[in-house]
This record gives sequence, structure tokens and C-alpha cells, in this order.
Amino acid sequence: MNILTILLLFTTLLLTRASELKTAVRIIRVQSLMLAMACTAVGMETGEVQIYVAAVLTIIIKAGFLPYVLLNIVNTLKHEREDHPILNISYSSLVACIAIVLSYGLIDQALPGAGSRDALATAVAMTLIGLLLIITRRQAVMQIMGMITMENGIYLVGLSVAKGFPLIIELGVFFDVLVAVMVLSILTSRLKLSGISTDTSILKKLKG
Amino acid sequence: MGELLFLALFVPILTGLLSMFQSKTTGLAIVNLSGSILTSSCLVAIVYKITVGGAFSYKMLYVDHLSAVLLCVLAVLTVTSMLFSLSYMGKELVNGHITIIMLRRYYGLLNVLIFTMTSVLIVGNLGLMWVAVEATTLASAFLVAFYFNHSALEAAWKYVMVCTVGICLALLGTTLLYYAQVSVVGSDFQALDWLALTKMSSQLDPAIVKLAFMFILIGYGTKVGLAPMHTWLPDAHSQAPSSISALLSGMVLSCAAYAIMRNLIVVQAVINHEFLEYLLIGFGVFSIAIAIPFILVQHDLKRLLAYSSVEHMGIVILGIGIGTPLAIYGALLHMINHAIAKSALFYMAGVITQEYQTKNIARIRGLVTTMPLVGTLFIIAILAITGTPPFGIFISEFIIITAAFASGRILLGAGVLLLLAGIFAGMVYYCLGMAFGTKPKYRASTVSIGRPALMAMVISVGLVIVTGLYVPTWLNDMLTMAASIVMGG
Repeated sequence: MNILTILLLFTTLLLTRASELKTAVRIIRVQSLMLAMACTAVGMETGEVQIYVAAVLTIIIKAGFLPYVLLNIVNTLKHEREDHPILNISYSSLVACIAIVLSYGLIDQALPGAGSRDALATAVAMTLIGLLLIITRRQAVMQIMGMITMENGIYLVGLSVAKGFPLIIELGVFFDVLVAVMVLSILTSRLKLSGISTDTSILKKLKG
Repeated sequence: MGELLFLALFVPILTGLLSMFQSKTTGLAIVNLSGSILTSSCLVAIVYKITVGGAFSYKMLYVDHLSAVLLCVLAVLTVTSMLFSLSYMGKELVNGHITIIMLRRYYGLLNVLIFTMTSVLIVGNLGLMWVAVEATTLASAFLVAFYFNHSALEAAWKYVMVCTVGICLALLGTTLLYYAQVSVVGSDFQALDWLALTKMSSQLDPAIVKLAFMFILIGYGTKVGLAPMHTWLPDAHSQAPSSISALLSGMVLSCAAYAIMRNLIVVQAVINHEFLEYLLIGFGVFSIAIAIPFILVQHDLKRLLAYSSVEHMGIVILGIGIGTPLAIYGALLHMINHAIAKSALFYMAGVITQEYQTKNIARIRGLVTTMPLVGTLFIIAILAITGTPPFGIFISEFIIITAAFASGRILLGAGVLLLLAGIFAGMVYYCLGMAFGTKPKYRASTVSIGRPALMAMVISVGLVIVTGLYVPTWLNDMLTMAASIVMGG
């Protein structure tokens, strides 16, 4: 479990350094695989079936289907990459490191003695870094990556404090994530189709 | 009763599916109109059963007087929005702005949206409610992006991004609440079921519950459109087709407010009341205040109405924050009144923008001459939404502010009154300009408006007048019961 949390944190940090969209999608795939393995680890610990179901769903949806769809979109975007993020790559990594320290501080303050400290801190850090990516990246695809990271982080919180949700809620959450990413993907390809770039900084017509 | 709940969920889905197979506008109209009337009757039947037999739970579903209040609103809006859609979208089709395939997609998604909103109101579990609230965002995303032009795409992108991030925070809050529950009773025992949670709420760990509620309030607050998380709201409302703006403003925001109330019922036994009051009243007043500058210098009709929604949701949250039974009664009544009046206004805005082909306030002049009936209704609805007597919104705002004074918050009451006066000035200034003024020369003197659309407007405006003059006994009882449920009784 500890190795998995370290790897999860590592993939998340790596994501702040990606400027090639394709690389970012691949990193997300690895991150989701790690999460599925963390699920399995918790499943072996508690022996509950629903966690295995969650692990399988994570592999199918988050590591299989969604990256596949996103890679397809990225392939149609020939010239798009994250060249000028609002916060440049090195600073983002720095802020991500600060986020990790912050999340350790936060969980020591707010949730002392809940689950495993490292897993929980990793989960909170992933949520924060996901948010950071959404805020500071201009490319639509990168923002989707941020969202998935955030979602994975929150899922890890649930996994480490409460050993996952009951099955029906779990299924609902998975379904929502799936649909959310699909909706965002369709919007992204529509942005592309309508002849404008998928750089979201051009989306500033509506004001006031 | 259980079958009735399932029927209310099943009918919109069936209607949506059937719509996908219609190739004629008349077919679409018949399917959707009968579907919406059937859905609405199911909802009314549920509400009736609740008023007679009290709360009811069935498997994962649960309804009580609090859900009944919002089910009433949903029943009204389902029918009026469908009636309005028939004329409005029909005209869009005739004008060549949309194709029949787009129209089919519109009705399909609209029914999914109605399904998701119904499920928010009848599930009995905080986790599933989260799923349903997120589903309302996703169902309406393509309705906001309906025209797929640059501004619609921008609005939809912001809408999905901001609301999904917000709702992710609510999921984090819900997870923490689940953790608090698990650490008391262990897993798998009525997980996140709010009746179970409310019963055992005094045993929950206060620190965790407090943290959880902050996340939940921020998360669902984004969806309610509380400032400063309201940024998606004016964009989405102004770009969506008007019937969708009406549903977003009247129902989707109210559903999220309902989610906050459900969570509030669970947490208020544990967290000290002062903290909750500061939090809710703070968000409420800030939302009212932030709407003023945008209303005072607005050039877009639909954005004007959208900012007014931010303000009214602020008032609702303020009422809940004040926390006396009277204030909560007022807040619930306000939710009903706002939903009906605002949807009527959006319907009118739809007709007006369709006719004038612009949303620019400065270019819309002489409504009373170009379309006398809509013009008159528009003036009435504007007076209603700004809280002028004798309309429903006046009554509910009056109740909330009376409650503020009665609970000793003199400054708060006076401050909110001042803010409301500012909003009144802005709204009335712009809207009377639109209603009177000299009509542009190139406009035909009168235009015909589809009968169904007129019917939708007349029903809504009529209801707002009725609730202003007289609250029927059953509604009064229902609101009183709902207020006591929110108080934790």
C-alpha cells in the first residue's frame, strides 16, 4: 500500500510537468491503474467484494475507456500542446510540493488518527493538485486531466478513511465520472470542430 | 406509493426514449406533452399522498413534506416548460435555427433532466443524492451547449467545469460524513441514509462533521449559484434555450439548495448553531450584494434575470441561515415563488428575444405595443420578482425579513432591505424601458405568439398572484411541516 501511495503521488507530480497532451493522458492511465491496485490492496485487507468491483471498474473506465477516448481526441489535435500555462511548469511542480506539505498539515489538524496517514495525505494532495491543474492549464484536455486527478484523489480519501462506499453509490459515482468526462470530451471536440482552438483562454466572450 | 415513485422516475425516461423515435414535430409534441402531464400527475399524486399520509420510504427512496414542497414546484415547471418548448422550439425550427434532429435531441435531454431532478428529490440517501445532483449538471450540459456556437460552447464548458469541481468538493464532504458514520456504527449499516444519520447524529465526531459540512456547502453552493461560486450561472442561463434557462433557474438551483438542507438537517445536531448561521447568512448576504452591480449595469436581458436568480437564491440561503421556523417557512415559500415567477420571466424573455432577435436590453423597446399580452405579463412578472406587493415573492421576502428582525438581527434585516431596494431600482429601470419606450420602426405592430407558450406564462403569473393573496391550507400545513423537518423535528 505504501509503495502504491508513493507511486500515485509520483504520477500526480509528473502530471504537473507534462506539456504534451498525449503524455498527460498516458500518465493518467498509469495513475488510474495505481488506484485500481490500491483498491485491490484494500480489498485483500478487508475481504469485501465491492472493493474488487470498484477496482475492476477503475481499470475498465478510468484506465481503459476514458484514456482511449481522450487519446483519440488528442490525435485529432495536431498542433495543440500546453505551451504557456498560466503558471509555468516548474512553478506548478513547486506549488504541487507545497500542496503535499499542506495536505499533511491539514489531515494532522482535521482528521488525526483516520486511516493511514500517508494514504490520506496523498489523497488530499491529489485533490489539490488536480484543482491546481484545472486552474492553471489553458488546454481543455489538460483541464480534464486535472478533473480526473481530483476525482481519483477523492476516491482515495474514501478508500483510506472508510474502505470505499457501498456498492450502489459507488456505481453511481463511476457512472457520473464517466458521463462527465464524455461530456467534456464532446465539448472539446466541438471546440475543435467549430474551427477554434481547444485553448480555453479564448473562452472569454461572456462577461458582466 | 412505492410504485408511484418509480412511475414518476420511469415516465420521463420513457418519454425521452419515445421522443428519439419521432420524425415529425406533431409526434414529438404529442409524446412530450402527454409525457409531461403524466409525470406531473404522478408528482401531484405523490404530494397528495404525503399531505394525507405523511413521510414515506421505499427501498432507497424517501419522500416527506420537505421533498413535497419541491415536488410541487417540479410538477408545475414540468408542464409549463414543456408547453413553452412546444411554441418556442417550434418557432426555432421554422426560423431555421435548428433541425428536426436537434429538436429530437432537445426533447430527449429535457426528459432526462426532468428525470434527474425528480431523483434528487426522492432519493433517501446522501450518496445517491450526490449522484443525482451531478447528473442534473450532466443532463443539462448539452442543453446549455444546444446551439454549439462559440458562446454556447464557452458557457457549457464553464458550466460543466465549475459545477463538476464544486460537486467533487461536495463528494469529498459526503465521504467525510460517511467516515464519521462508519466510525460510529461500522460500514454497511444504512450507509449515508439520512434518517439513520439524523437519528445518530449526536454521536458523530463534531470536528469531522464540521469539515464535511464546509465542503458540502461550498460544493452544492456552487450549484445553487451562491457568490462567489456563481460565475457559471449567468453564462449558462444566457446561452441555453429559454425553456432550459427557466428550468435551470427555477428547479436545478432549488434542487441543489434542497441537497444543502438535507445535509443541514443531519449536521445541525452536532455543529454549534452560531457557526452554521454565520456561514449561511454570510453566503446569503454576499450573493444578494454581488448581484447588485451586475444588475445595475446590465445590457443582456437573460443575464439580468440570471443575476436576479443569484440574488433570490441568496435570500433562500439567508432564510435557512436565520434558522427560526418562521424564516425557514419563508425560505421554502420563497423557493416556490421564485421558481414560478422566474420561469415565467424566462419564458417571456424567450419570446421577446425570438421576436426582436437580440438579447440587448437597449434594443428591446415598446413591448406593450408589439405584443400587448406578453408585455403586460412581463411588467407584472417583473414587479413580482422584485418583491412588490401583492405578489407571492413580496410575502416570502417579508416573512424572511420579519424573521430576521424578530430574532434580533436588526442590522441584517435593514441591510438586506437596502440591498433589495437597489435591485428593485435596477430591474424596474431596465424592464420598464423595455416594456414602454418607442417601438423600433421596422417591427410589425403586433406579433402572434404560440398558444401553448401563452398558456405557460399565464399559468405561472397566475400562480404567483395567487400565492401572494392567499396560501391554501394544505400548502401552509406542508410548509410548516417542512420547516419543522429542516429544524430537525
